[in-house]
Amino acid sequence: MNDTNEGLLSAPLTFNWTLSYRCNFSCSHCYSREEQAEELTTDRICLIVDILADKKVPFVNFGGGEPLIREDLFDIASYASSRGLNVSMNSNGWLIDADAAARLRQSGFQSVGISIDSAEARLHDDFRCMPGSWQRAVAALDHVRGAGIRLTMSSVISRINFRNFRDLIALARDHGVQTLYLHNFKCSGRGFKNREDLDLSPEEWKAFYVEALEVKNSLSDLTLSFDDPVIASLPGYDADPMVKGSSCGKLSLHLRPNGDITPCGFIPLVVGNILAQDFDDIWYNSPVLLKMRHKEAKGKCAGCAAYGDCLGGCTARAFATTGDFSQPDPHCWK
Amino acid sequence: MDENVRPARRSDIIWRHEARREQELLEAQERGEDISDRGTVILVAGGTMHQLNLLGGEIWRRCDGNTTVARIVSDLAGEYDVDPAEIDRDVREFIEDLNQRGWISYE
Ligand code: SF4
Repeated sequence: MNDTNEGLLSAPLTFNWTLSYRCNFSCSHCYSREEQAEELTTDRICLIVDILADKKVPFVNFGGGEPLIREDLFDIASYASSRGLNVSMNSNGWLIDADAAARLRQSGFQSVGISIDSAEARLHDDFRCMPGSWQRAVAALDHVRGAGIRLTMSSVISRINFRNFRDLIALARDHGVQTLYLHNFKCSGRGFKNREDLDLSPEEWKAFYVEALEVKNSLSDLTLSFDDPVIASLPGYDADPMVKGSSCGKLSLHLRPNGDITPCGFIPLVVGNILAQDFDDIWYNSPVLLKMRHKEAKGKCAGCAAYGDCLGGCTARAFATTGDFSQPDPHCWK
Repeated sequence: MDENVRPARRSDIIWRHEARREQELLEAQERGEDISDRGTVILVAGGTMHQLNLLGGEIWRRCDGNTTVARIVSDLAGEYDVDPAEIDRDVREFIEDLNQRGWISYE
């Protein structure tokens, strides 16, 4: 075991799990549409669940691709819940009617998130290249809540919605959402190709976060979540998170459809395969994970007063744009 | 608080004991380092993540609904080389705090 792992948890708290890259949509910001991987059988997936349960990983979040594209999703979730995992997922909502929501509940989903990019139907539908998708996503919010499952909503902040994020908050509140994730734009997959059109400038990110943090602290009935380490230098930011900087590789990992592990869905570096290798060996000794956990301050981060909290911001974005984990996050406005 | 009360963790609270970290903290304590804000139990309540320090983690792990407060105190008094009255007070205060947060109930 490597002693540079001091303080490291015994396993991640969350596995973000892409069961399939297949999707019924084709969105402009998708990080996974260009990816391909062989999918595992239900039995092999249950073997992975056993490993996660043995390692006492408490949370597994199915993403994608669209998780509901896999018809055995309900069986997988039932099995994972029976092994003590807390199961959640992110969906575009298209396939969630009242029946599907009831089945999600029966199969043990603790929380379901629906992706909605704009409070305006037309913008969402254009962005997702899917007419009628906004209507169905909003209906899915009500079905999930109606089934008694904890409801969350996810919106990737981009040029189409950053000025109107308050409308997303209003939409979430109207439909009884408990947590609204305003995800920061990642430069991966199509998000990288369409970056010029979709990404904000560093100054725009700063202005967005200053305002959004103020709004977050004024809300009592809805939790706003950002999960973007680059905001560590801003006033109103909770300065005591469990880990500093990006949480990937420290609190969470990502599983690909074939059982390959990557630090997160946005870093295309395989650190091992969960069915072929010993998990502890990957977790403690992977050179990639070690490097991500021990970044050095490079470029403008060297000498920046915020480095102790920010650790250079989002490692995935730095890597996507420079090929180096330790370069400053391209969203940084400093 | 009656010493025969049996604190019980709420079943919907998700938590994990970090044995490896605990070992690191025990070694750090031996070296005389301040370890009071470093966690050995990770706990998620109401969507927020918390860490319990060495003593807090020891108490939490015993809040199984079967162990009385008196027993928790005597167990820990045997483990820690401090004044038993101090342990008694710390344990009771901590358990009361857990109760106030709604993370345990009294059986
Ligand atoms: S310069 Fe680096 S450390 Fe400073 S705020 Fe920007 S990304 Fe974070």
